[in-house]
Amino acid sequence: MKKRSAPAARTIGRRREQERRGARYRFGFDIGGTFTDFVLIDTTSGRVETYKTLTTPVEPSRAVREGWRTLLERVGVSGEQVDSAIHATTLITNALIERKGAKAALITTEGFSDVLDTQREMRYDIYDLHSPPVEPLIPRTLRWEVKERLNNFGEVVEPLDETTIERAIEGLRHAGVEAVAICFLHSYKNPMHEQRVGARLAEALPELAVSLSHEVAPEVREYERMSTTVANAYVQPLAQRYVQRLERDLREGGFQRRMYLMLSSGGITVGETATKLPIRMVESGPAAGVLAAIFYGEQLKVRDLVAFDMGGTTAKMCLVKGGQPARAHAFEIARVHRFKRGSGLPVRVPAIELIEIGAGGGSIAWVDEMGLLKVGPQSSGADPGPACYGLGGTEPTVTDADLLLGYLNPDYFLGGRMRLDIAGAERAMNSLADRLGLTRTEAAKGVYQIVNENMISATRVHVAERGEDPRRLMLLAFGGAGPVHAYAIARALKMRGYICPAGAGVTSALGLLTAPAAFDFAQTHVTPLRQHTLADLDAVFAKLETQGRERLTEAGVAATEMRFERSVDIRHRGQGHEIVLELPWPILAKVDLDKDLRPHFYKRYEALYGHAHRHLELEVMTCRLRATGPRPVVVLPRAERGAHGAAIVVKGRRRAYLSDNGGFTDVPVYDRVALPSGARIVGPAIVEEKDSTAVIGPDAVARVDAYRNLVVTFADG
Amino acid sequence: MTRVGPAHGTTTTLALRSASRVDPVALEVQWQRLVTIVDEMDTATIRTSFSSIVGESHDFGCVIMDEDGAGLAQAQWSPPQFCTMMPITTRHMLRKFPKKMLRPGDVLITNDPWIGSTHLPDYNVVSPVFHRGRLVAFLGTVAHVSDVGGHRGDLEAVDVFQEGTRVLPTFFYREGRPVELIHEFIAANCRVPDLVLGDLNAIVGTHRIAGRRVQEFLGDYALADLRALAREIMTRSEQALRQAIAALPDGVSTCEMSADGYLEPFTLRVRVEVRGSDMYFDFAGSSPQVSHAAINAAFNMTYATTVYPIKCMLAPRIPNNDGLVRPLHVTAPEGSIVNCTFPAPVKARAKVMKHIPPLIFGALAPLLPDEVIAAAGGIFPFHLSGDDPRYGTFSVHVLPHGGTGAMRDADGWLPVAYPHNSTITPVEVVELQCPVLVLRKALIPDTGGPGRRRGGPGQEFVLKSFASRPITLTIRPDLMRYPAPGLFGGMPGAPGEVWLNGARVERFPPIEFRPGDVCVLRVPGGGGVGVPREREPERVRRDVEMGLVTPRAARDIYGVEVHEQ
Repeated sequence: MKKRSAPAARTIGRRREQERRGARYRFGFDIGGTFTDFVLIDTTSGRVETYKTLTTPVEPSRAVREGWRTLLERVGVSGEQVDSAIHATTLITNALIERKGAKAALITTEGFSDVLDTQREMRYDIYDLHSPPVEPLIPRTLRWEVKERLNNFGEVVEPLDETTIERAIEGLRHAGVEAVAICFLHSYKNPMHEQRVGARLAEALPELAVSLSHEVAPEVREYERMSTTVANAYVQPLAQRYVQRLERDLREGGFQRRMYLMLSSGGITVGETATKLPIRMVESGPAAGVLAAIFYGEQLKVRDLVAFDMGGTTAKMCLVKGGQPARAHAFEIARVHRFKRGSGLPVRVPAIELIEIGAGGGSIAWVDEMGLLKVGPQSSGADPGPACYGLGGTEPTVTDADLLLGYLNPDYFLGGRMRLDIAGAERAMNSLADRLGLTRTEAAKGVYQIVNENMISATRVHVAERGEDPRRLMLLAFGGAGPVHAYAIARALKMRGYICPAGAGVTSALGLLTAPAAFDFAQTHVTPLRQHTLADLDAVFAKLETQGRERLTEAGVAATEMRFERSVDIRHRGQGHEIVLELPWPILAKVDLDKDLRPHFYKRYEALYGHAHRHLELEVMTCRLRATGPRPVVVLPRAERGAHGAAIVVKGRRRAYLSDNGGFTDVPVYDRVALPSGARIVGPAIVEEKDSTAVIGPDAVARVDAYRNLVVTFADG
Repeated sequence: MTRVGPAHGTTTTLALRSASRVDPVALEVQWQRLVTIVDEMDTATIRTSFSSIVGESHDFGCVIMDEDGAGLAQAQWSPPQFCTMMPITTRHMLRKFPKKMLRPGDVLITNDPWIGSTHLPDYNVVSPVFHRGRLVAFLGTVAHVSDVGGHRGDLEAVDVFQEGTRVLPTFFYREGRPVELIHEFIAANCRVPDLVLGDLNAIVGTHRIAGRRVQEFLGDYALADLRALAREIMTRSEQALRQAIAALPDGVSTCEMSADGYLEPFTLRVRVEVRGSDMYFDFAGSSPQVSHAAINAAFNMTYATTVYPIKCMLAPRIPNNDGLVRPLHVTAPEGSIVNCTFPAPVKARAKVMKHIPPLIFGALAPLLPDEVIAAAGGIFPFHLSGDDPRYGTFSVHVLPHGGTGAMRDADGWLPVAYPHNSTITPVEVVELQCPVLVLRKALIPDTGGPGRRRGGPGQEFVLKSFASRPITLTIRPDLMRYPAPGLFGGMPGAPGEVWLNGARVERFPPIEFRPGDVCVLRVPGGGGVGVPREREPERVRRDVEMGLVTPRAARDIYGVEVHEQ
């Protein structure tokens, strides 16, 4: 695989340029479901300032203005001194989950508008007959069919009929829609008809936001492409207004440069691109979190890890190999049936591949009809929250268990901003214990164990399906509950250890500042892989590269700093599904198919599935290109190393349940902020900080590194 | 009479009580781990399979079984019947190849309809898993492969010999090495050997992965075998189901229904008895097996399809395992259409199978009115094969579904797989593979059975050949004469139809599909629940607005005037 060239020299050059102009700050902000997080970094000193405030759902930019003003004032800089602002948001995802997008319409090939209803014709739960169907984003009344047809070679079988276009336009005008998705069969092969209708719409209804399927997701399989295009149209007007509003607010706050938006793929792009393809922002917050994990890992020279983010309602895991996150080109959004696979809307967009399960601090514990203990996916949310919040919650949750097991300090939750109600947690846990015939402690321990096991199972499969071995990996834990559960997970998976970064509370926002400008392109191009067809693939890639250069130029990347990574979706001819194969060669026509390319495929396939079928021909389905600019270098200041043997102050002691010791033991509690760099703590121990608490098991040793990260390894590891 | 009883002898209530002391936390953790392992098998199968019927249609199932071949967990997406039959098949295999004969790396295989999943295209692949030298589990996959030789037809056959090659239980791999003879035999007797052996070998690969997972699992928990876990899983599940059955009043209920069959209709009859915590199902009085059409169901399928609705109604959330079949006792007269004898033709046994769930739901409707579902429109599988200069040799299966039946609290779903589970091959993928255009894939108004809750509408599939020479089109329709019945006064869904170049098709040998020919498949709708006139007028108006019901039907059937906009 191609090595990442070190962009250090160029970045330094760029930084000097920024300093000369005085714009040496970068601003990252992440609007999450509960909190909006801000980071301001001084690119010369590496000094980071953070701020956290409650999200203002009705008018998200209100919280943004507050954060912008507060951080700038605190550091004492003006808006002109900020070189770039980078943003991630849950707004798009929430609009899809809550079905609060635009009134959107669909125009499709005659005979196929019901594909949005019939979908894949599969049931996501074969035994629960009461499970509800997945409702499409566009109702049948807002779909128009146009007479036209291409075949799989992209040849016109039925010419585009102008009268049906005009009829559709009339209908759209009448219905008063804000956005329209256009998806014709085989448009990935020949976009002519979609382009024609798009152009006609631009003339007739210039206000309308138009999404063309060959631009949104030029890949074969009509339902998936249509679903992606429809989701894009559905959120487009909203995204447009939102981004414009943010840009205006920042401008009014003195910001004079460009605002960038984080994509699900971990790249950033300018507002114009993001508002054209807003569906690509759907997982922007989680993607930023993974980038932050990669950043923290690199500080410690750890490039193979699992990023693990456990918050209030979900846990997210992502495998990182060689500093690169796992990637996916398709996933499901807005699942109607909790986290059940198949109950959501498929989208074909590039994304950092995360698994997300319903396991968080607020996950509720319950007993099923067989008397077994279950945890989640139902969550108590922020309101009423776990029983120990004392806000009216009565159901036992993971946070309640964490409190009763002594991991959390009732007087130092959120740095003491919230006092936890032990009696409330006990009451909730007692009722669970009664139903299980266990003691309260056993029940709490069971909740802890089962929520961990859910995360362990999901991680194990995620890692194994990518041909990786957990024993080689570190767990990088963040999010409020991550460090509380990291020990148990890393231990069970026999991982090398775990890392709890300093200031885990605003991790995603920091990740934004490490993201390169990047954009992914795909083009379905079905061809048998033969020596003479390789040149055709080069032609497809050349076209994608041209698009890539345009996008990166828009984002302000110099031509010399652009990099292109090529991959193909490829399979044995006749197979139903493909694997993604990265191509290390810039020009394929010069590659020897039998000596180089085929063995490259077999190696990958065998790593994934044990054995390849070497006598069969290979077939390419889709070409993919990732265009990237240089990655900004973020260097955090190193802490002073504590004097050798400096006293490490124990903040207190409390009884905590650490199973390896067979029950509650008296463990020392440390204050994270007071720990000097270089400090070494032998487990069992608990390390508290404002936004999280790290549990260090009896057979683990923690070290505080130069950046105040907590690096925990196992005695036998 | 064929009887299928519990796999592990009888369980007494006493034993149930004594077993319930096992830690509910450890059990949950370990049980979920098994489910995760089979789910991973499922995912790997999709990703490595060759034929569209496995890869795109998901016509396969994965199961993990204990060392005696009792089902412990199935993949969440697997068709339910496969997962109930697989353990029966495995135990049959074990009678021929006892455990002591088996060694690491062995893989057994069969497609025998009476041992396996009741028609030749379904290959059952079973691998023993060893841990520290001991056989601890079996992994099983049943998958519908693309071809097994025999005639190209589906419905018209006089015996199983016409339907392809039959492989009795034998070694497919022995100690990790392929048994060349059987590989060669399978390849030599089918039309697309690369696809068929590709799928079967891919399955063996998934078993290797899952086998390692089972070993890691046992290692992690320092377990020597799965015995204690298996006993606990099955006992708890059995207990939960028994409690649900015991809550029903004892008594007998019957149901009877007629269905199209092929060229002549047949009748199914069931007598269901609830007695204590057991349920007894007897199919006495059902039609005899037929010798002119391949619609006969061997007993395994009848059994598996009978227990499915019970799980849906009484234990939908318990992960499927053999404990859930212990309280259920199924009998059917030998030689009947639901327990056919060798060598009856069986390929299209789904024509009988799909009517069993509505029969069982129908019998239990008075007892469990909120849990039953009306009959569904089912499925019109079709298959395109031939060769063409631009597309090469092709064999494409497509499984378009009809609407499902309504329930007391919900309208039926729009076309979706039921009672099995599978996915539709995308139209663009069909067209990539063969010289046929799908001109239309659309819902048909007024096809969902009217009722207070409406059945799901059916859909229309229009195919046109633009091949350079004739190709073969095989279709297996149903519900063309006897549509999907409703419940509690709900009306049946619309019947299915097949048209070729404007003429209605009644017989279904393989069709010579010539260049320019157009074939229309109208897959039926599901049955309604409750009296149509009781449907809330706003729901009727919404249906009209959505184009699922015409204004005329709204007026005539529902008694609601809706003016078209």
